[in-house]
Amino acid sequence: MASVKISNLKKEYGPVQVLHSLDLEVADGDFVVLLGPSGCGKSTLLRMIAGLEPITAGDVFFDDRRVNDIHAKDRNIAMVFQNYALYAHMSVRKNMAFSMRLKKIDKKIIDEKVEWAASILGLEPYLDRLPKELSGGQRQRVAMGRAIVRDPDVFLFDEPLSNLDAKLRVQMRTEIKDLHQRLKTTTVYVTHDQIEAMTMADEVVIMRDGVIEQAGSPMDIYDNPGNLFVAQFIGSPGMNIVECQVSEANGKLCATKGDLQLPLPSNANVINGQTIYYGIRPEHLQATRQASLAASDSNDKSITGVVRVVEPTGPEIHIYSKLDNQDVCSISRDRVLWAPGEDIHFIPDVEHVHLFDGDTKLAI
Amino acid sequence: MKTQGSRLPRWLRSEHPFPWLFPVTSLLIVFGLYPVLYSLWLSFYKRNPATRKETFLPSHNWSKLISDDRVWDAVQVTFSYACIALILQLVLGMLIALLLDSDKKGFGILRALMTLPLVVPPAVTGMMFLLMYDSSFGVISNALYSLNLLSPDAPILGTGSTALWGVIIADVWQWTPFMVLIMLAGLRALPKEPFEAASIDGATAVQSFFHLTLPMMSKIIALAVLIRGIDLFRVYDYVKVMTDSGPGTATETLTAYAGTVYFKSANFAYASTVALATLILVLVTATLFIKIFKVRF
Repeated sequence: MASVKISNLKKEYGPVQVLHSLDLEVADGDFVVLLGPSGCGKSTLLRMIAGLEPITAGDVFFDDRRVNDIHAKDRNIAMVFQNYALYAHMSVRKNMAFSMRLKKIDKKIIDEKVEWAASILGLEPYLDRLPKELSGGQRQRVAMGRAIVRDPDVFLFDEPLSNLDAKLRVQMRTEIKDLHQRLKTTTVYVTHDQIEAMTMADEVVIMRDGVIEQAGSPMDIYDNPGNLFVAQFIGSPGMNIVECQVSEANGKLCATKGDLQLPLPSNANVINGQTIYYGIRPEHLQATRQASLAASDSNDKSITGVVRVVEPTGPEIHIYSKLDNQDVCSISRDRVLWAPGEDIHFIPDVEHVHLFDGDTKLAI
Repeated sequence: MKTQGSRLPRWLRSEHPFPWLFPVTSLLIVFGLYPVLYSLWLSFYKRNPATRKETFLPSHNWSKLISDDRVWDAVQVTFSYACIALILQLVLGMLIALLLDSDKKGFGILRALMTLPLVVPPAVTGMMFLLMYDSSFGVISNALYSLNLLSPDAPILGTGSTALWGVIIADVWQWTPFMVLIMLAGLRALPKEPFEAASIDGATAVQSFFHLTLPMMSKIIALAVLIRGIDLFRVYDYVKVMTDSGPGTATETLTAYAGTVYFKSANFAYASTVALATLILVLVTATLFIKIFKVRF
């Protein structure tokens, strides 16, 4: 196992700069997820760590070893690709044994390792099948088996679950996490699915346009997004954001937009007249039918909208409403039936409000 | 309102396949099936060169064929020619395709240039090499003389041991680009990820080639070998133009022998038998190849 350190890493394709001076440290044994929208450079970064993509500038270190000029085959890494990249003409057994056969390892040891990996991944019945005779989930497990028999210093995963159906994805997510807990191998995992990132990572690195926007533990990022992009990107349904002006009403500062008056946290570091983005997560926006309750609990004026769509998910209900021409989502765990077109009043949990500067879009 | 379709004759509006298949079927019958059947019929006749009359004697030509040493020599030459040319074209085709499999600037032009030999008629290629092999002014012969690899006393096409190679090189020059095109199409269609996975698994470029490229290309290679193999078995133009089966019968392939029997001896019946034997040999070899290598079309 090894730690991974990325220092001032840049990637350019001709005039296009894809990665801008990235710095990142992955501690030995950590599970780090690179998360970001398509085209943000996360896969490119992973491929540069793997040695599949040339580095324009900067350094990649495994422990203290600079690996920039070391070929992928000599980096002792294992990688699981989005479309599995199995060797179609080889059986599952041969796919998993390939790297060891190249190293001319004793056949008995190869067999033992393949059997061990197959038993961990539940692949024993399929060892003599060809990849085309397996389901998507089984192929994914073969790709993982091929990686774990290597006993690598670093595991690299490039969106490995994106080709699987929703149920299988959840199952494989658990299996990968379980595998990491057992093997404790340093892992860098790329995904655009924030649920995957939140559920699996020790540390999430959020990227946008070739820049790291924020890195931290999943819950820390969720609770304390550093900027507006991270706040909107993390969380499903996403955080409600309203662009407001800070103004004074009844001797108190509040955020206003048109007729809408939103209460500010007591310790909010804002000044009268400042433009801010007011953010609140759906679970911190309580929905009620009683306008008076909403008004007395939060502010002098109740926050009132109209229900547009109601999505029951089982444990909770997502209520999408229109609030002063703005889409707002709230989550209710009460089994209250809401009807589209109905008036809805909101009580924001003021202590969980996130404020972002109108110009810099950084958290206030 | 009457549509244009309804003004067509009834048979042209038919949904029955026969009218539509009739033109191509009749062409195949006239130019494909009929000559084969006619050859078969001819092969059952014995020709008397003196009287120029033919008598029905089904076993005559076929038993003559079996005992004809020249036929067996021709079979050997044909197999040697086809196998050597095929191996050279396959290996060179793959190597050149590997070199040209790049998106770098200029490689598109190189790929286009590769196809040029294919547009030269085979007889012209034969003539071209005949001139280049000429012992007094031929560029290839002179180059080999100056390198002391060949003596002017033993001209390439005039010496038994080198004549077949001389013809094969012309064939290889002309048809290697065909292999390059097929191999390039195959290489370019290969997915990139297994190769990246292999390089992470520790494979060198050579190991990737033997463990991945070749197995993944096996079906394409088998198809290319089949197409070229059949073509090589019935080689005629190069041999006719360059050596006319000589010196002696050193370069006499089965089709060249059939041509000689037909045009020089005017023994149409026996020539048909030799031609049919060639056809049978090609069919059997091709079928065996398809079965063994599981070629799919």
